[in-house]
Amino acid sequence: METKLDLRVATDIGGTFTDVVVYDPDTGRYSTAKAPSRADDLAGGVMDALGLVIAEPGQVGSFVHGSTVGINAFLQRSGERVILLATAGASDVYRIARGNRLDMYNIRYRKPAPLLPRRDIIPIGGRIDYQGNELTPLNTDDLRRAAERIRSEGVRSVAIAFLFSYQNPDHEKAAASLLTELVPGVSLSLSHQVATEWREYERTASAVMDAYIAPPVSRYMADLSTRLADQGMPAPLRVMQSNGGVISARAASERPLQTLLSGPVGGAAGGVALSEVLERPNLVCVDLGGTSFDVSLITAGQADSSPSALLEGLPVLMPVVDIHTIGAGGGSLAYLEAGGLRVGPESAGARPGPVCYGRGGTQPTVTDANLALGRIDPDYFLGGNLTLDTTATDAALEDLGRKLDLDRNRIALGIIQVINAKMSQAIRTLTVERGIEPREFSLVAFGGAGPMHAVALAQELGIAEVIVPPDPGGFSAWGMLQSAVRQDFSEAFFRNFADLDTDDLHARFARLGEVAVASLLGEGVDSDQISLIQRLDMRYQGQEHTLTVTLPNGASPDLDDPFTTLRSRFEDTYSTRYGHSNPGASMETVTLRLTALGDVGRPLLQANYQPDQPGNDPSKTTPVLFSTGSYPTSRFNRETLTPGCSIDGPAIVEEATATTVIPPEGSATIDEFGCLIIEAPPL
Amino acid sequence: MKPDPITIEILRNAFVMAAEEMNAALIRSAYTPVIYESKDCAVALIDSHHRVLGQSSGVPLFLGNLEACTLGTEEMYGRSVWNEGDIWIMNDPYLTGTHMHDVTIFAPIFYHGDLAGFAASRAHWLDIGSKDPGVPMDSTEVFQEGVRLPPTQVMRGGEPVRDIWSIIETNVRFPRSAIGDMTAQFAVAAIGEHRLGALFDRYGRDTVEAAAQEIFDQSERLDTEAVRAIPDGVYTAEGVLDSDGVGDEPVKISVKITVDGDRLLFDLTGTDGPGRGPINCGAVQTLSACRLAFKYLFNSHQPVNGGTFRPLEVRTKPGSILDARSPAACQFYFTPLGLMIDLVCSALSPAHPETVPAAHYGDGMIFQFTGINPPTGELFLENEPHVGGWGASLGRDGEDGMIWTLSGNFHDMPIEVFESKFPARIIDYGFRQDSAGAGQWRGGSGIVREYQMTTDTELSLWFERSLHPAWGLFGGRGGAPPEVIINPGTPQEMRRLKTNRMPLREGDIVRCYTGGGGGYGDPLERDPQAVLADLADGFISPSYAEKHHGLNSQPEG
Repeated sequence: METKLDLRVATDIGGTFTDVVVYDPDTGRYSTAKAPSRADDLAGGVMDALGLVIAEPGQVGSFVHGSTVGINAFLQRSGERVILLATAGASDVYRIARGNRLDMYNIRYRKPAPLLPRRDIIPIGGRIDYQGNELTPLNTDDLRRAAERIRSEGVRSVAIAFLFSYQNPDHEKAAASLLTELVPGVSLSLSHQVATEWREYERTASAVMDAYIAPPVSRYMADLSTRLADQGMPAPLRVMQSNGGVISARAASERPLQTLLSGPVGGAAGGVALSEVLERPNLVCVDLGGTSFDVSLITAGQADSSPSALLEGLPVLMPVVDIHTIGAGGGSLAYLEAGGLRVGPESAGARPGPVCYGRGGTQPTVTDANLALGRIDPDYFLGGNLTLDTTATDAALEDLGRKLDLDRNRIALGIIQVINAKMSQAIRTLTVERGIEPREFSLVAFGGAGPMHAVALAQELGIAEVIVPPDPGGFSAWGMLQSAVRQDFSEAFFRNFADLDTDDLHARFARLGEVAVASLLGEGVDSDQISLIQRLDMRYQGQEHTLTVTLPNGASPDLDDPFTTLRSRFEDTYSTRYGHSNPGASMETVTLRLTALGDVGRPLLQANYQPDQPGNDPSKTTPVLFSTGSYPTSRFNRETLTPGCSIDGPAIVEEATATTVIPPEGSATIDEFGCLIIEAPPL
Repeated sequence: MKPDPITIEILRNAFVMAAEEMNAALIRSAYTPVIYESKDCAVALIDSHHRVLGQSSGVPLFLGNLEACTLGTEEMYGRSVWNEGDIWIMNDPYLTGTHMHDVTIFAPIFYHGDLAGFAASRAHWLDIGSKDPGVPMDSTEVFQEGVRLPPTQVMRGGEPVRDIWSIIETNVRFPRSAIGDMTAQFAVAAIGEHRLGALFDRYGRDTVEAAAQEIFDQSERLDTEAVRAIPDGVYTAEGVLDSDGVGDEPVKISVKITVDGDRLLFDLTGTDGPGRGPINCGAVQTLSACRLAFKYLFNSHQPVNGGTFRPLEVRTKPGSILDARSPAACQFYFTPLGLMIDLVCSALSPAHPETVPAAHYGDGMIFQFTGINPPTGELFLENEPHVGGWGASLGRDGEDGMIWTLSGNFHDMPIEVFESKFPARIIDYGFRQDSAGAGQWRGGSGIVREYQMTTDTELSLWFERSLHPAWGLFGGRGGAPPEVIINPGTPQEMRRLKTNRMPLREGDIVRCYTGGGGGYGDPLERDPQAVLADLADGFISPSYAEKHHGLNSQPEG
C-alpha cells in the first residue's frame, strides 16, 4: 500500500489537557482530541494525545508543536544554572535591573526574582565605545579564570553580555571561542546573537533567559523528535514561536528563547488566519479560561505585536505577539468586602475550583453563577466528562445573596454582570491605549468559557458581531496549523534620520536577507514561498520608545525617496498610536528588523462546511435567566447546525468544548466555513 | 433609594476604569516624553461636590489631590463660576502643592445643563520658563521657577481664550510642546465628560450618585478598620534634611501622630521653615504625601476615591516648608516628603512592627549636566535621578538599588543609551559594598555611578540625607550616607552634595554614591547563611561581617 504523507497535525499543551488537531487534506476535514497533560513527562502526554487520533503515524506530513518546556522551566525556576560574563564596571546591571518598581504602593517591594545570584556574575575587563571602537582590549586573564571556575563548578550554561556588543560583537565572539576551547561542550548564549539591540539590561536579561532554558528545551526537543521517529513519523517537528510563526525543532534548540511563549500565541495565529478567511481585518480575540482572560488584537489582518515582552517582570527582547492577560475567569470568586460585592481577581483555580465541581469549594464563582442561570447544562459539562453539583452551587449563592439581600437568581445574574463589565472595560482601555475604536471590530471567542460571555462583552463594547470558530476549545492548536515558518532578524541601527545613508541601509537589509533566505531554505521552505518584510524602529529625537515602520514592498534598491516614504509612514503610525504627530521634528532610527516568512502550505478553512448529521432543531428547551427575565431557551447542538441556519435568541449552542450564549434579541447562523456568527443586539 | 449591590459594584469598577481610560488617552497623546514614557501624570473623575469618583496615577505621589484644585477654584470664585464648555488651567504651587512644571487642567462636566462633576488631569511639562533650562537647583523665590498660573480659563464656552494661550506660549522655552500637552489634557476632560454622561444615561444620575455615596462608605469602612487596629496613642519621629538647598543649616521635620479610636491625626506643625532654597512644599501636596504614607501601610491596593483617607487629618504650620507661602521657592517640593514618609513609618513602627520598614536612602539624588555636545554642536541637558537602598522589614531584606519612594516606574538610563547621547562615559555602575544597614534583615545596598566627561560641561547636583541617612528599626543599623566626589584621589578632589552649574573640564570624573537602606532587628540575630550569602555576593566585606554579625570569616592562622 502506498503511504500518503499529508496529514497535518498540531498539538498544544495546556495545564490540564494536551490538545491535538489533525487536518486531512483528502477529505478537507479536521479531527481533534485531548489527553490529560503529564506534568512530569510532557512528551508522553503529546504521544498519548496523538495516539487517540492518528492510526498511521507514517501518514503525518507536517507536525507543529506548542512547547511549554521553556516557559515551565522559567515559571518553576527549574532551568539550568547559569554563569554570566559581563563587562567589568557594569557587571551589576543585571541585578540593578533599571531600578524601577512595578507596584507603586508596596513599600516592601522586591524586584522580580533574577535568574542568578550576584556571585554568579563574573566581570570581564575590556570595553567597546558607543561607536563600536575598542577602548580597552578584552582581558583574557579574566576569561581564563572564569573558564576555570565554570569547569570546576560543572556549570553547563553560560551567558555572555558585554557593553555595546550590538555595535561590535568581537569581544563576545572572542570570549565564546576561548570558552569553547577551555570548557568543551558548554552551552553559550551570546547577547548580540540573542538580541542585536541596545540597552544592556534588557539584552543581558534576554541572554540569561536564553541560557537558563536552553538545555531543558534542547533535551525536550531531542526526546520528542526521537519518540516521534520511533513511532515511524517521518515529518519534521516544527515548533510554534512567540512571534506567531513556526520553526524547526533544530533551530528552536539553537534559539530557545524564541519558543518561550509558544503556547498562548496559537490563538492569535488562529485569529490572523480567521481574519484572512472571513475577510474581517479587525478582530478582538478573547480566550476565557478558569483563571485568566486573554485578549489579543488583530488589526488590518495582523496580530498586534511588540519587539519585547515582560515575563514576571523580567524583560526579554524578542518579537512577540501581544497577549494581554486580565485576572478574570470561570473560577473568579465572588465575595463580600466592606459590605460590597466583589468578583475576582482572586480565583478558585482548579483546586478547589468552583463549588459545583464538588472538590471542596465553598465560595461561589463565575462558573457557579453560569450554572445557576441555566447557561451551563449540568449533565453536559466538558462534553459530559464532569457532573456538576447544582445543589451545592445554589446553597453557596443563596448564602452570599442573603448577606446582600439578594435572592439566588439576582446574585447569580449580578456576578455575571460584574465580571462582564470588568472584562469589557479592560478591553476598552486596551483599545484606547492603541487609538483603536472597538466598535469597528468583530469579537472572536474561543477557549472553554469565552463563547459563554462573548455576546455580552460585545454588547458592552458596542461591537455588532461575534464569531465563534469551529471547535473553539482547540482553536489554539488549529491556529498553529495556519502559521508560516518565520524567523526574525534585527540589527542595531542608531542613526539621525536626516543623515540616513540609504545605500548603507539597503546593504544591511540585503546582507540580513541573504542570511534569512539561507536559513529558510534550511528549514525546508521552497525558495518561491519565501517573503521578506523589512522594518525600521524609529522615533522622534528625545524619546525612549520607538514605533516600528514597515518599508514598502520590494523596497531594496528602488526605494525612490526613502525619506519621504519613511517619514510619512512613521507619522501615520505615530498619529494612530498617539493621536497627533510632530511634522518637522527630528527623527532617528534605532533598530532595523527583517522578518522572513516561509509558506509551507496552510489548511485554511474551506467554504464547504457541512455537518455529519445535519439538523437545525433544538435538542431541548430549558429555562435560562437573562437580565430581562427567565426565558424558555432552545438548546442547539453545534455539531448538527448547517450553514445558513437561522437561530433566534434566546438560545444556547452547545458543543464538546464550549457553550455559546445568545441573549434575547440576538440571532445567529452558521457560515459556509462552519463559524458560528452571532449578531449582538445593541444595549 | 439605595441602588442594588450589583449596580454599585459595576459602577465602582466603572469609575476606576473611566479614570484609567482618561489616563491612557493622556499618555497616548502627550508631547512631553516624561509624560508618555515615565507616566509623570495623573487624572481624576470628580463628582459635583469635589469628591473623587475614580483616579489613575503614573507616580505614587499624585494621589487624590486633584479635587483640591476644583474645590480651591470654587472657594475663590463661587459655585456660579462653573460654565459649560469652560476649561481651566493652574500650576500655582501654593494651591496645587507641587512645582510649577506640574500643570493641572480641569473642566466642569455638565449633564443636561446641570453641573455633574469635574474631569481633571495633572502632567509634568517639559519646561515652564524657569531661570535655568531644565531644573534650577538654587532658586530662592517662586518667581525664578517659571510662569505661575492661578486658576485661569483657557477655554470659555468651547472657544480658546487666545490671550491666555499666548501668555503661556511666550513664557515657556518649548511652546509647541506646552500647547500640545495642554490640548492632550483637554482630551482627557472630554473623555471624562463622555464616560460620566454615559453612566448617567445608562443608570440614571440619581442612581449613580447614590451608588457613589455607598462606594465612598465602603472605602471609608476599610480605612476606618485599619485605623481602629492601631493602638490608641501618640507616635512621634523627627529628622533633618541636610539643607534648604542654598544654606548650610539642617532643616527639621517633625511628625506627631495621634491615634484616637477611628481618627488619625498627622501633626506636622513642629517642622522648620520656610526654607530660603527650593525645598518648600504646598500643603496640598503634603496632604498627598501623608495619604501616600498611609496607603503604603494600609489598604495598599484599594482604589482611591472620595471615601478613602477619611479618617486621616493633617495639620501643618503655615509658612513652614510643608505649608509653603509665597514667595517661597518650591522646585524641590518633594525632598521633605520622602523624609516625612520614612518618619511616619518609623513613628508607627511600635504599633505595626510587622508591616513597617526601616528608612530608605531617601531622595532622588539627582545628577544634571549640560553643555554643547561636540558631535551635534547643540545644547544638551541630562537630568538623572539615582537608585539606592530600601529599608528592611520583618522577614524581608530591603531591596538593593531601586528608585526612591516618591517615584514609581522610573527606569535608570542604560549606559549604552547614555554614552550614545551625551559627551561622557559611565566608567562604573554597581552596588556599593557595605552601604546596607545591618540587621536581622539588612537594608538594601546603595550604588556607585561614576561619570567621566569627554568634553567641557556644567554640573548640577541634588543629593540629600547625608546628615540623617536611612536609619534602622528594632536594633537594625543605619545605611551609609550619600557622597559625591569630583576627581577622587587627585589634588583637585572635591566633595559636593548640592551644586548649581559647576564648570567641569574634559576628563573630569564625578563619582556618585547613593545611600543604603536601614536594617531591621539585631544584626547578631541574622541567619549566618544569609551573612555568608551576602559575603559570597560581595554586598558586604569580611570586616563588615565581623563588625556587625560577629562572623570571623578570615581563614585561621
